[in-house]
Amino acid sequence: MTVRQYYATRAGCVVVLFLVIAASGKAQTSQPVDSFQAQVKQYCATCHNDRLRTAGVSFDGLNLSKVGDNSALLERVLRKVKTGQMPPAGMPRPDAKRTADFGNWLEAALDADAAARPNPGHPGVHRLNRAEYGNAIRDIFALDVEAGSQLPVDDSGYGFDNIGDVLSVSPALLDRYLSVGRKVARLAVGDPGMKPVEEVFEPRHELNRGVAPAVPARAEWMSEDLPFNSAGGLSVDYYFPVDAEYVIRIRTGVANSPTNPKAVEVRLPMKAGPHTVGVTFPKESLKLESTAPPDRQAAGFVSSMRPEASSAGMDLRVDGVRVKRFAPETDATRPPPLLDVGILGPYNATGKGDTPSREKIFVCHPASKAEEPGCARKILAGLSRRAYRRPVTDSDIEPLIELYQSAREKGDFEYGIEKAIQAMLVSPDFLFRVEADPAAGASRNGVHRISDVELASRLSFFLWSSIPDDTLLALAEKSKLSDPTVLAQQVNRMLDDPKSSEFVSNFAGQWLQIRNLPTVRPDPVVFADFDESLRYSMQRETELFFESILRENHSVLDLLTANYTFLNERLAVHYGVPNIYGSQFRRVVLTDPNRDGLMGQSSILTVTSPPNRTSVVQRGKWILDNLLGEPPAPPPPNVPSLDATTKGARKLTLREAMELHRANPACAGCHRNMDPLGFALENYNGIGEWRSKDDDSAIDASGKLPDGTKFDGPGGLTEVLATARRDQFVSTVTSKVLTYGLGRGVEYYDMPAIRAIMRKTESNQYRLRDLILAVVTSEPFQMRRSAD
Amino acid sequence: MFLTNKHLNRRTILRGVGAALALPVLDAMAPALLRGSAAAPNVRLGFVYVPNGIIASGWTPTGEGAGFAFNSTMKALEPFRDQTMVLSGLAQINGRSFGDGGGDHARAGASWLTGVHPKKTEGADLRAGVSADQVAARQLAGQTQFASLEIGVEAPSLAGGCDSGYSCAYTNTVSWRSPTTPNPMEVSPRVLFERLFGEGDSTDAASRMQSFQEQRSILDFVSGAVTRLESKIGSGDRRKLGEYLEAIRDVERRIQKAEEQNATMTMPAMERPASAPEDFVSHARLMLDLMVIAYQADLTRVASFMLAREGSNRSYREIGISDGHHNCTHHQGDPEKIARTIAINTHHVDQFAYLVNKLRSTPDGDGTLLDHSMLLYGSSLSDGNQHTHVDLPVALVGGGCGKLKSGRHVKYPSETPMTNLLLAMLDKAGVRTEKLGDSTGELEHLSDL
Repeated sequence: MTVRQYYATRAGCVVVLFLVIAASGKAQTSQPVDSFQAQVKQYCATCHNDRLRTAGVSFDGLNLSKVGDNSALLERVLRKVKTGQMPPAGMPRPDAKRTADFGNWLEAALDADAAARPNPGHPGVHRLNRAEYGNAIRDIFALDVEAGSQLPVDDSGYGFDNIGDVLSVSPALLDRYLSVGRKVARLAVGDPGMKPVEEVFEPRHELNRGVAPAVPARAEWMSEDLPFNSAGGLSVDYYFPVDAEYVIRIRTGVANSPTNPKAVEVRLPMKAGPHTVGVTFPKESLKLESTAPPDRQAAGFVSSMRPEASSAGMDLRVDGVRVKRFAPETDATRPPPLLDVGILGPYNATGKGDTPSREKIFVCHPASKAEEPGCARKILAGLSRRAYRRPVTDSDIEPLIELYQSAREKGDFEYGIEKAIQAMLVSPDFLFRVEADPAAGASRNGVHRISDVELASRLSFFLWSSIPDDTLLALAEKSKLSDPTVLAQQVNRMLDDPKSSEFVSNFAGQWLQIRNLPTVRPDPVVFADFDESLRYSMQRETELFFESILRENHSVLDLLTANYTFLNERLAVHYGVPNIYGSQFRRVVLTDPNRDGLMGQSSILTVTSPPNRTSVVQRGKWILDNLLGEPPAPPPPNVPSLDATTKGARKLTLREAMELHRANPACAGCHRNMDPLGFALENYNGIGEWRSKDDDSAIDASGKLPDGTKFDGPGGLTEVLATARRDQFVSTVTSKVLTYGLGRGVEYYDMPAIRAIMRKTESNQYRLRDLILAVVTSEPFQMRRSAD
Repeated sequence: MFLTNKHLNRRTILRGVGAALALPVLDAMAPALLRGSAAAPNVRLGFVYVPNGIIASGWTPTGEGAGFAFNSTMKALEPFRDQTMVLSGLAQINGRSFGDGGGDHARAGASWLTGVHPKKTEGADLRAGVSADQVAARQLAGQTQFASLEIGVEAPSLAGGCDSGYSCAYTNTVSWRSPTTPNPMEVSPRVLFERLFGEGDSTDAASRMQSFQEQRSILDFVSGAVTRLESKIGSGDRRKLGEYLEAIRDVERRIQKAEEQNATMTMPAMERPASAPEDFVSHARLMLDLMVIAYQADLTRVASFMLAREGSNRSYREIGISDGHHNCTHHQGDPEKIARTIAINTHHVDQFAYLVNKLRSTPDGDGTLLDHSMLLYGSSLSDGNQHTHVDLPVALVGGGCGKLKSGRHVKYPSETPMTNLLLAMLDKAGVRTEKLGDSTGELEHLSDL
């Protein structure tokens, strides 16, 4: 939609609003409605009538002067008309202007009806998902131990795992809450009586090597927490529960091999709290990497990724400082493979230590027993306010005090607090997000604006996947958060906060499906180059790219068209981009337009490929599902076999085989939409490398959509998506953000809000942060329908 | 730009250090209290699911009755032939679309133990039916610590949809606690172990008792909190809190049972498992081991087990197949893909045979655990290529406490409801129920010729 069209629509909206109101007043019908009614009868009702009910839809008896009575159906009609899918090609259709007029009129009428009778939906009771649970623990107790990873993986719906209706509760889950709550409370308070345990960390495995017994030594820099000139090894953030001695045991070699793994141990005094423990193999020199020929064809390059470097030994580092160097084995030509690193302890505990968690919890220290009850109350009131995300009352605190007291009788003051915390973490007030209905009479048509405190939670779970911080909660408690200026400031502050990287990994990770990258298993025979480093780099590229669009507030269209990305050496080799050295990611301006935007990123190209080849169908479906919001129907169950996969002696090309497939009318309906999109990406192989041939056949990446739109290759596809299909793309992104933000599926009654968000953000090219703010200020986000 | 090292794929293993962390598993010599008495041994029910159908040409035995011969897929069950029944002709008609369009995998998973046509939804108003394992769990609750266990090998997908238009809940589980509450499958051996036997740093009876009391007081607190919260919200919103209350009652029952059995719990010889092994076979066997131990210690009498999620596209590289399972099943007549699918089907049965063997080598009362088990093995599709919901592959394994006449291949009229079999299994396990999904009565000929 151009700006001019936009104003035309807005003007039309005012006129139509008048007409709708007039029409709904009395039987006095107006001209446009009559003509559109006739248009529907002439072009639509020939198939969609009571007799045929094509696709289950009938327009017999439809009264366009009362759009509000049929908004579910008419939203579908609007979508089909606006995207040119109906009437279908080959059937009589009105001219372009009449089609557009009808679409604009219908849109305005639906919007006007929604404005008069808003339906913001009714989000039910919402259990925290595992990411939210873990982040909440981190934020309440300054305890970043990824507590959520100990909970079962949540079911998802609408493509996201934060959908309230799908997040169910079971005895097994409650068992986990009890167990994890206990561990968290104990870690947060600190317990010198803790028995020693061993936790073992293993380096990233070469999953792709299947069942191969030997893990090849990694000669790359493995972590941003390790020195540049190091190779292999691993780095872990470990939470040391108390001040004590810990044994760090490093095993090298190959498990279950005749030559048993070698173990070395160091016993270290450690202060309680989080520390980084790194084990690495420093390189003698950087020569191999820095002199690597940039030409990826050069054989020498590959070896620079896995140099037969002589090692200076093995370093153990704590918080970035080397604490011990183990001498290399004399006959070692390459670093021994690191098997695992174990942390054992605590031994000879000297105290609970001075951890950030304890600082956060113990806001007072009773000097005498008489001071204890008051201090306990203060501590528990503060913690429960954060955990329950709202002001707390005596009825919240008293039961916690009771638990504290009964535990205090068995142990000391801190033990009492620990037990009360343990219970708090299983409280429904912590685990469930609950929004209250207002007192009878306080809502209009069963619809009300949610409270500031409820808004604070919606915001923080949306942008941080966590609880509100003190600033947000304090503003909400003073009823200032709903002030539009304050709200906008807060949204910006929250997006600037590092915690918003959760939005990147949870929203973008699921929307673009790159969260599936850790589980893809490309065939090592077909894709011998694929390794763990590449897997990691692919995912990181897309995350950094999305993050840059978010932080710099670029247009969502830049997701498709941006001419920059983030690369490290491994990925640059993969893409054939020269002169990028080292494992560090950096922003790179692309000279090859084929890598522009998301469609050129190997993360997406890999998650949409089967293990051993490409699939135009999967890629086409991914675009329809996630970029165009037109999920194709699944294949009919009884797919006839592809009888002829060979033509004479020659094997059919993929395109020929797919064309044969499309000759079947049962398949054609969807495949003519899906396949052309997928074919445009055929120059990328199953792990996103560029290729010009597939099985000796030259690749033809041209395609034509059913509406006649033609394009060639990824660049051509991207252009179509960003221009001809721009509105559809933006609408899909908006709808995905709204789904994620609300934690429920987007329904027909949300479409007016989606259109309003698009209108609001259009003048500034749909910048991502603007779009997020528009979602936050939209009716479905700000309001709520009471339970029926 | 904020860099976190979250991407480091770290795997954490908790290992016991010294005797302090020895594990409270039952001794191989089970105490008399927990052993099924010789007069009336307790039937263990197991429901083992494989996704994407099983190719009939490899599965269906030749011949009928006692004279049948196993086909290639089921070869691994040959040693247990006398305690195996292959049942042909059963169907889950409610897995069909009935106008709901695509989504046969979701409907297959959701109908397998419920016999109910699931509601097509991505999330809002999720609905199937109570599954057979949960009917049993409800009636047997209180006899063992765990009313039921739900165990899986494949974690839910981390992103994207599952089957078109259906929430992933329908494909992630076959166990439905209520028509609106799917039970998640536990895939972590360590979590399952800790759930069964506690967390391990308090092993003597006295400290276990103290931990039970502590859990009780927390659950009392939580019940109170739920009640207070319920009063603040509309009645339409109370369902989820109701589910939470039910979970609380269930855990309370478990604690009560555990307290009763506390004095007789002794230390056994299974090492606390690490995090999930990367390879399928080790992972599956570890989970099956835990299932056997739970039966053996009489911690539960009902378990459902999914060797993979319905619709799973896992690649079984350990048997030389790098293409995904689901991809293979849509073979469209390609003989190579058919062969691969049969190989996967066989691979799955091999794991099941491991379970059966383990049960047979575990003494229980006057016989073995296998004598006292009734294990259903199968898929809710027959032909994964065409998504057929009839002629399902079904095997019933175990002695069923003498209530089955095994060692046969029985053919039923086409489209006989599989729920009739479920009803009959429940009845033989002493669980009375009138109807399950589309059942029309108990399946005949399980204990006669």
